[in-house]
Amino acid sequence: MRTAIAVAALVAGCAAMPEGAPPRAPVEEPAAAKPPVPASDNIAVANLVVNARGDAAAGRLANAGATLERALRIEPRNPRLWQELARVRLKQGEFAQAESVALRSNAWAGTDPALRTENWRLIAEAREARGDAQGARAALETAARMGQ
Amino acid sequence: MTRRFSLKRLLWYVALLGMLLAAGYTLFLDWRVRDEFEGRRFALPARIYARPLELHAALRLPPAALERELRDLGYRNTPLDSEWGWYTRNGDDFEIAIRQFVFWDGPQQATRVRLAFNGTTLASLRDAQGKDLDLVRLEPLLIGGIYPANNEDRVLVRLNDVPKHLVNALIATEDHKFYSHAGFDPRGLARAALSIVSGKGLQGGSTITQQLVKNFFLTRERTLSRKLTELIMAVLLEVHFEKNEILETYLNEIYLGQDRDRAVHGVGLAAQHYFGKPIQNLTVAEGALLVALAKGPAIYDPRRHPERALERRNLVLRESRDLGFLTLEQYAGARAEKLLVNARPGTGTSPYPAFLQLVHVQLRRDYADADLRSEGLRVFTTLDPRAQGAAERALADRLAQFDREKRFGDAGLEGAIVVTDTQSGEVQALVGGRDARYRGFNRALDAARPVGSLLKPAIYLTALTEPARYTLVTPLNDEPFLWTSRGAPDWLPENYDREYHGEVPLRTALALSYNVATARLGTGLGVERVLDTVRRLGVERPIQPYASSLLGAVSLSMLDVAQMYQTIASGGFRTPLRAIREVTTQEGQPLKRYPLAVEQAFPPEPIYLLTFALQDVVREGTAKSLRNWLAPELGAAAKTGTTDEQRDAWFAGFTAGRLGIVWVGYDDNRAARLTGAGAALPVWGEMMAALDPEPLAVPRPDSIEMVSIDPQNGLRGGLLCPGSVELPFTKGSAPEGRSPCTGSIDSAIQAVEPVVGRAKSWLERLFSR
Repeated sequence: MRTAIAVAALVAGCAAMPEGAPPRAPVEEPAAAKPPVPASDNIAVANLVVNARGDAAAGRLANAGATLERALRIEPRNPRLWQELARVRLKQGEFAQAESVALRSNAWAGTDPALRTENWRLIAEAREARGDAQGARAALETAARMGQ
Repeated sequence: MTRRFSLKRLLWYVALLGMLLAAGYTLFLDWRVRDEFEGRRFALPARIYARPLELHAALRLPPAALERELRDLGYRNTPLDSEWGWYTRNGDDFEIAIRQFVFWDGPQQATRVRLAFNGTTLASLRDAQGKDLDLVRLEPLLIGGIYPANNEDRVLVRLNDVPKHLVNALIATEDHKFYSHAGFDPRGLARAALSIVSGKGLQGGSTITQQLVKNFFLTRERTLSRKLTELIMAVLLEVHFEKNEILETYLNEIYLGQDRDRAVHGVGLAAQHYFGKPIQNLTVAEGALLVALAKGPAIYDPRRHPERALERRNLVLRESRDLGFLTLEQYAGARAEKLLVNARPGTGTSPYPAFLQLVHVQLRRDYADADLRSEGLRVFTTLDPRAQGAAERALADRLAQFDREKRFGDAGLEGAIVVTDTQSGEVQALVGGRDARYRGFNRALDAARPVGSLLKPAIYLTALTEPARYTLVTPLNDEPFLWTSRGAPDWLPENYDREYHGEVPLRTALALSYNVATARLGTGLGVERVLDTVRRLGVERPIQPYASSLLGAVSLSMLDVAQMYQTIASGGFRTPLRAIREVTTQEGQPLKRYPLAVEQAFPPEPIYLLTFALQDVVREGTAKSLRNWLAPELGAAAKTGTTDEQRDAWFAGFTAGRLGIVWVGYDDNRAARLTGAGAALPVWGEMMAALDPEPLAVPRPDSIEMVSIDPQNGLRGGLLCPGSVELPFTKGSAPEGRSPCTGSIDSAIQAVEPVVGRAKSWLERLFSR
C-alpha cells in the first residue's frame, strides 16, 4: 500500500513540477578523497592551472593571477579555479581579496566538503594575516565542522 | 677716388653683413636640423585591442561567428603557403594560419591550426600535423588608438624590415641618385629654376632628403625663400646624418593615405591598411603600389581610382626595371599581378568609438594624456566583438522598426546598451546610440536618466535580508497610499494600470511591478536603508533620500545600473566593471594589470531569493513576452523599467554568462508611449538570442530550502494541491500553515515524501548521465 501511494505520488510529483523551476543543486556524490584533484576536466583549463601554479611557485604572482583569470573566462563557475585564485591573492598579500575570492569559490562549491574546508582554511589564513585572530579562529572552526 | 673707394667699401660691408646673416641663418638652421631630427621621436598613438578569441575544444561558438572574427582581423579566405593571416573553410572545418602576436604574457608564435565544429561547439583543435592542441589564441582585433591631435597614425619599421624591392622602387621613382647626392640634385634644381622662369611655378626636382625636410620642418607654401631654406636644410641633414637614417625616417614619415579621420603615415601602417599584412611580407607589386601612393595618396587611391593606381604602380615597376633593380621575369610577374587591396573599408580612428571612450576614461586615471598619445602603449581591453556586434545590430534594427511603425511616438528614437560578463564584471559591449560609428554624444556614458522600476530590486533585496519578516510569499498591501514627510512634497504613488490590487504576495508585487505595494514596502523599511542597499550594490552616485527615489525618480547612468545589477548577477559579490585587462609598452613589456576584484556585499540567501523573484518577472511578470526571443528554460532574470509619462524604457537582465542593460528613449526627453517591456525588452531579447545564452542556474545555498506553496493562500501546498509551486525559503522562514487542499491524507504524504525524494534523486541521477 505504502509503495503504491509512493508511486502515485511520484507520478503526480513529476507532473506538478513547476515549469522553469531553477535546476536543483547537483546530487551529492561520495567525495573523492584523492588529494591531487585535477582543477578541470577541460584540458585547456587544467593546463592553465598548471602554468599558474608554476608561475606562483616562481614568484610571478601577477602572471599567475592573469592566467587563472584566463581559465575563469573559460569556466567561470568552476570553484577550484576561484580557490586557486584565492591562494594567489593570499601570496600577493591581498588578504581582503583572498577572503572574498575564497567565499566566491564557496558559492560554487556545491556539496564538496573538501573544497569548502580548504576555502575556510584559506579564509582563516587571510584573516590571521590581517590581524583578525578572532575571525581566523571562527573560520578554522567552520573548516573543522566542514571536514567532519 | 675717395668716393669710389668708399662706395666699394660700402658694398664690401653690405656683402659681409649679408654673408654674416646668411651664415647666422645657416647656423640657426643647422641647430634646428640637428636638434629636431636627432630628438625626433615619432608620436605613436596608444593601440587599443579587443579581447583575443581563445580557441579550445568544447568552446561554444557558432562557425559563422568564428569566420566573422577572422574577416574582421583581415584574414584572407585563400591559402598562401608561405604566409600567415589566412584561412580556409570547408563546411564546418577550418584551417587557419594564425599570425604571430605578442600578448601581455609573452609572444605566441605564428601557427597553423585545424578546427572542426560540431554544431555550435568547437569539437577539435589540432595543429598541421594532426596533433591535439589545448588552447590557441587568435590575435586580438585592433579596435582603435588614442591619437595625437592631428590623428596621425603609424607603425614604426626598421629599414632592415622593409623589403629591398620596396626601397629600390622608391629610389628608382623618387630620387635615383639618392645614395650619391649631397641632399639636392643640381639638375633637378635647374629644372625647377627653369619652370619658374617659364612661369609654370615651382614644381618637381625634390630629392628624398628635401621631401623629408619639407614634411618635417616646413609649411606647405611654395615660395622661393622656402625652397632655399629647404635646400640648405637638406644639405645640413646630409652632413649630419647617414643616408640610411634619412631613408628610414622618410619611410616612417611619408603620408600614404587617409582612413576616414585617421591619417595613414609610413610604409608599416600602409602595408596593414592596404594589404592587411606586415611590411616584411609585401610582394614586389604591393611594394610598388605603396611607392606609387607617395606621389599623391588621394589621386592614386587604389580603392577609389583603381585604373590610375594600376597605371602609376606599373610606372614604378618600369622605373625599377630600367635601373636594373628588377629582372625581366620579376617585372613581368609583378606587372601581371592585379591590384589586391584589402576590401575591408577602413574604420577611421575606431569602429567602436563609444567603447573607446570608456577605455580612455579608465586609462586617464593612470596615465597622462600626452603619454597615451605618443608612447605607443598597447592596451588590452575586454571588448567582445561578437557581443558588440549583436548589441549594435539589435538596437539599430529594432529602433528602425519602431520608427517605421511610429509605435512609441515620432521617428528619432535613440537607445544605448551595456553588456558585461556576470562573473568577472568585464564590459563586453557598449553602444552609445543607434549609429554605433558616431563619435559624439555617448548615451551609455554621458547620460543620466530616471531609472523607473529598475531600482525596485534594491527594495525587495532589503526586505529579503530579513527572512523573519519577509519571504517571497509575504502578503504586501497594494491599497491607496499617501506619503507625507516634512521637507518633501506629498507623494501619492499609482500603479501603471491605475488600479489597486489589494493584498498581493511579495514576489507577485515585484513580478508585476506594482508601484503602490512597493512604495509601502520601501517606506516601511526606511528610505535610508533602501538607499544603503543601492550603495552596497555598487551605485556611487549620490541619491536624494526622498521616498519618490524608491520608485526610480532618481537619475542614473547606464554604467551605474549595470554595476547595480552586476552585483545581483554575480551572487551578491560586488565586482567593479572593467574595460581594460592589461597595458604594455610598445615592445610588449607589461606595465599594468587591472585584476579581477570581488567583494561580498550581500549574503547568498537574499540574493538567491531575489534572483528567483527576478526570474518570476520573466516567467509570469512584466517581461513575459521575452519568451518570443528566449526559451523559458534559460531561466533569465530581469526587470523592466518605465518612467513618468513614458519617457524612458529600460530593461536590465541576465543569463548565466551575460548581463545586459538596455535604454530606449528620446534625446529631448519628451513624453512618449515608451514602456520597458514594449521598447527595451525586444532589443534585449534579440541581442541575447544572437549570443547563444547558457541557462541561468544559481547555486542554491545550504540554508535555502524549497517548499511547495499553494498560491491560492500562500500556505504550504503539496502534491495534491493543484497549481502548487516550489519556492525557495531561508530555512525556518516558510509558512507553517498547510493549505486545506492538502486535506486528510496530509499525513500520508508526509510519510512518503522521503521515499519520493530518494526516488527522485535516483531518477535524476539516471537521466543526468
